[in-house]
Amino acid sequence: MPGRECFETVASSPDHASERDPERNIRGAFEHGKRSEDMSAGRAAGLETLPSRPPKLVITSLTVRDFRNLAKVEIVFSPRFNVISGQNGQGKTSLLEAIYFVATSKSFRTHRSAELVRHGQEAASVRAEFIEDPQDQGLAPLVREQHAAVAGARVVVKIDGARPSTLASFATRSPVITFHPDEMALSTGPAGLRRTLLDRLSLFMTPESADHRSRYDRAVKARQELLRRGSESESEIEAFEHLAAVHGSALTRIRAQATSALLPELALAFGRIAAPDLALVAEYAPGGTTDESEASAALRSSRRRDAGRPSPSFGPHRDDLVLSLDGRRARIVASQGQHRAITLALKAAEVSVIGHARGISPILLLDDVSSELDAERTDALFSYLASQQGQIFVTTTRRALISLPEGLASHERHFPVSGGQIPPTSE
Amino acid sequence: MAYRFRTGGADLPSRLTRVAQLLGRLPGVGEKTAMRFALFLATVDESTARDMGAEVGALRDYVRPCHLCGNIAESEAPGEPAMCTVCSDTRRDSSLLCVVARVQDLLAIERSGAMRGRYFVLGKLLSPLEGISADDLPLGQLRAKIRDPEAPVKEILVATPPSVDGEATALLLARELTPLGVRVTRIASGIPHGGDLEYADQVTLGRAIEGRKNL
Ligand SMILES: Nc1ncnc2c1ncn2[C@@H]1O[C@H](COP(=O)(O)OP(=O)(O)OP(=O)(O)O)[C@@H](O)[C@H]1O
Ligand SMILES: [Mg+2]
Ligand SMILES: [Zn+2]
Repeated sequence: MPGRECFETVASSPDHASERDPERNIRGAFEHGKRSEDMSAGRAAGLETLPSRPPKLVITSLTVRDFRNLAKVEIVFSPRFNVISGQNGQGKTSLLEAIYFVATSKSFRTHRSAELVRHGQEAASVRAEFIEDPQDQGLAPLVREQHAAVAGARVVVKIDGARPSTLASFATRSPVITFHPDEMALSTGPAGLRRTLLDRLSLFMTPESADHRSRYDRAVKARQELLRRGSESESEIEAFEHLAAVHGSALTRIRAQATSALLPELALAFGRIAAPDLALVAEYAPGGTTDESEASAALRSSRRRDAGRPSPSFGPHRDDLVLSLDGRRARIVASQGQHRAITLALKAAEVSVIGHARGISPILLLDDVSSELDAERTDALFSYLASQQGQIFVTTTRRALISLPEGLASHERHFPVSGGQIPPTSE
Repeated sequence: MAYRFRTGGADLPSRLTRVAQLLGRLPGVGEKTAMRFALFLATVDESTARDMGAEVGALRDYVRPCHLCGNIAESEAPGEPAMCTVCSDTRRDSSLLCVVARVQDLLAIERSGAMRGRYFVLGKLLSPLEGISADDLPLGQLRAKIRDPEAPVKEILVATPPSVDGEATALLLARELTPLGVRVTRIASGIPHGGDLEYADQVTLGRAIEGRKNL
C-alpha cells in the first residue's frame, strides 16, 4: 500500500552484559535529563557528580473508602515489595484497582467509573501518599497526596488538594503499570490490546497523544454518521474527514515513535526471558498514514465502501503491532510458553519505555500472574522484578506460590485480604 | 435536613414546589438549590419576589436576539424587532464579520476589546453525533448578510471553540463562504485546548484575534 511505513527491528538475545541491566537505561535517561542548575549546584558545593541511582516513586500509604468491596482500608506499604493474598473474591484485585485509580483516575477493569462504587453507597474515594525520591545528592524527596473519588459517574481528582490542569497530566504524574492474566492476549489476541499498549507509551512520550486520539475518534464517528445518513453536503463530510486526517496522521506518527522506543527494550527483555536462539520481530503495521493529505484522499475515496460499515476502512483505529517469531506471525505459530514469554517481554519493555520517558521507575501491579505462568516463567518474572528499582505489588491466592529471590524477600510486606478487610499493616 | 424535602412532598404548598421546579430548570441549579431559592422568595424577602416576577414577565417582551446578528438586544416596544448595541454602533467596521457559536462567546470577545467589526451568532455547531447537520445552521442568513449591498462583508473571522465540532464548523464555513469572494479567517488557537471561549482570558482572546489565519 502506498505511503505505508514499516518500523521494525530484529530482537534476539543481546550479547553485551551491560545491555542486560535495565537499571542502566533508566539511569542513563535520568542523567541525560538532569538540569544544568543541578549539576552546577553540585560543582559549586565541591561535590563530584556521582553516578546516581534512578529516581524512585513509592506509595507510602493508602486510604480507601467504599471502593468495590473495600468498605474501609488504611494501610502502609513496603517501599519495595508488597504481597496481597487471599481466597477468590476477597478483594485482592480491588486493592490493586484502588491503587491504579488513585494514580491514574481510571480503572484497568472497566470504563464505567460507577462500577467502582461499593454497592449501596453513593461515592468511592481513594487517597494515597506518594514519595518521589530523586535519589540524588542535594535533592530532597518530595511528598504529595493524591486523591481520586467517584460520585455517581463523575470522577474528581486532586494533587495536594488542587485540581490538575488535565486528566492526562494527572495520569502521567505517578506512573503505574499493571500486569494481569487477561494481558496474555497481548500476544495471542486481536490488535486492540497492542494498540492500547502503544497508547500507554505515547501518553508518557507525547502527552498530547490523548487529545489526538479522542479528537480522531469523534471526527471519525461524525463522518460515519454523515455517511450513514447519506448527507448531501460535501463540505460537511469533508470538514470531518479533514479533522480525522489531521488527528489520525498525528496519531500514526506518535505510535510509530512509541514503537521505535519499544523495539530495543523488547529485544532486551525477550533475550532475557526466552531461549537465546529465538528471534522476535515486532513491526508497526499502520492502518493509516503519517501523511495528512494522503489520509484525506484515502477517506474521500472510500466513502461509498465505508457507508455501510461501523468504522472507516482506513485509519489508525486499524493499527497493529505485528509480532513474529523466526519470520512467522507469533499469533499463529507461538507455543503457550512462547506466548507467555512474549507477553512478559512486552510488559517489561513497557516498564522501561515509560521509565525512560517519565524519568522515574514506575510502580508495578501484578494481578494473579502466577496463575497464568508456568514455574519457569514465574522464576524469570521474579528475577526480572528483583532487577527493577520500582515498588511492586503482587496478588496471589496462595502465598506459597511465590518463591522470592533474595533481593525481594527481605523487603516483603504481606497483606492478607478477607471479605474486603485488610488488617492495618502487618509486618 | 431541609434539603431532603422532595418537590411535591406532602407538606409543601404546591405553588412553592412549582416555583422551585421552574427555578430548577435554570442552568447549574439543582433540586436542592431551587428549593432554597423558592423558600427564600416565599418567606424572607417579599419585594425581591414581586420585583422579580414583574421583571421576568416583561423580559421576553423587550429583551430578545438582535434581528441582525443574534446578539442579545432590547427593543423599543413589546414585539418590535430589537437591534443590539454593536449593530447600532456606526463606528463599527461592517466589512469584518465575526462568527461565534453562542452569545456568551460574543460577550467574551467584546470584553477583550480586540474586535472592531460586527458579529453573527450561529446558535449551534455542526454536530452529526447530536443530530445537528449543515442544514440546521443559519447559512442562508449568513450568505445574505455577506452579500448585503449596503454593507458588504470582506472578511469572515470564525471564532467557534477549538473543539472537534467547532473546528468542523469553521471548515464548513470556509468551504461554503469562500466562493462568495470573502476572506475566511480563523482565530489563532491560543485558547486553551478543548476550552471555552467564555473562560479564555481577555489577553489570550485579544491575541487570538490579532493572530488570526486564513482558513
Ligand atoms: N461495586 C462493588 N461493590 C461491592 N462488591 C463488589 C463490587 N464490585 C465487585 N465486588 C465484589 O468484590 C469482591 C472482590 O472482588 P475482587 O475482584 O477484588 O476479588 P479477588 O480477591 O481479586 O478475587 P480472585 O482471586 O477471584 O481474582 C467480589 O466478590 C466481587 O463480586
Ligand atoms: Mg482478582
Ligand atoms: Zn446585532
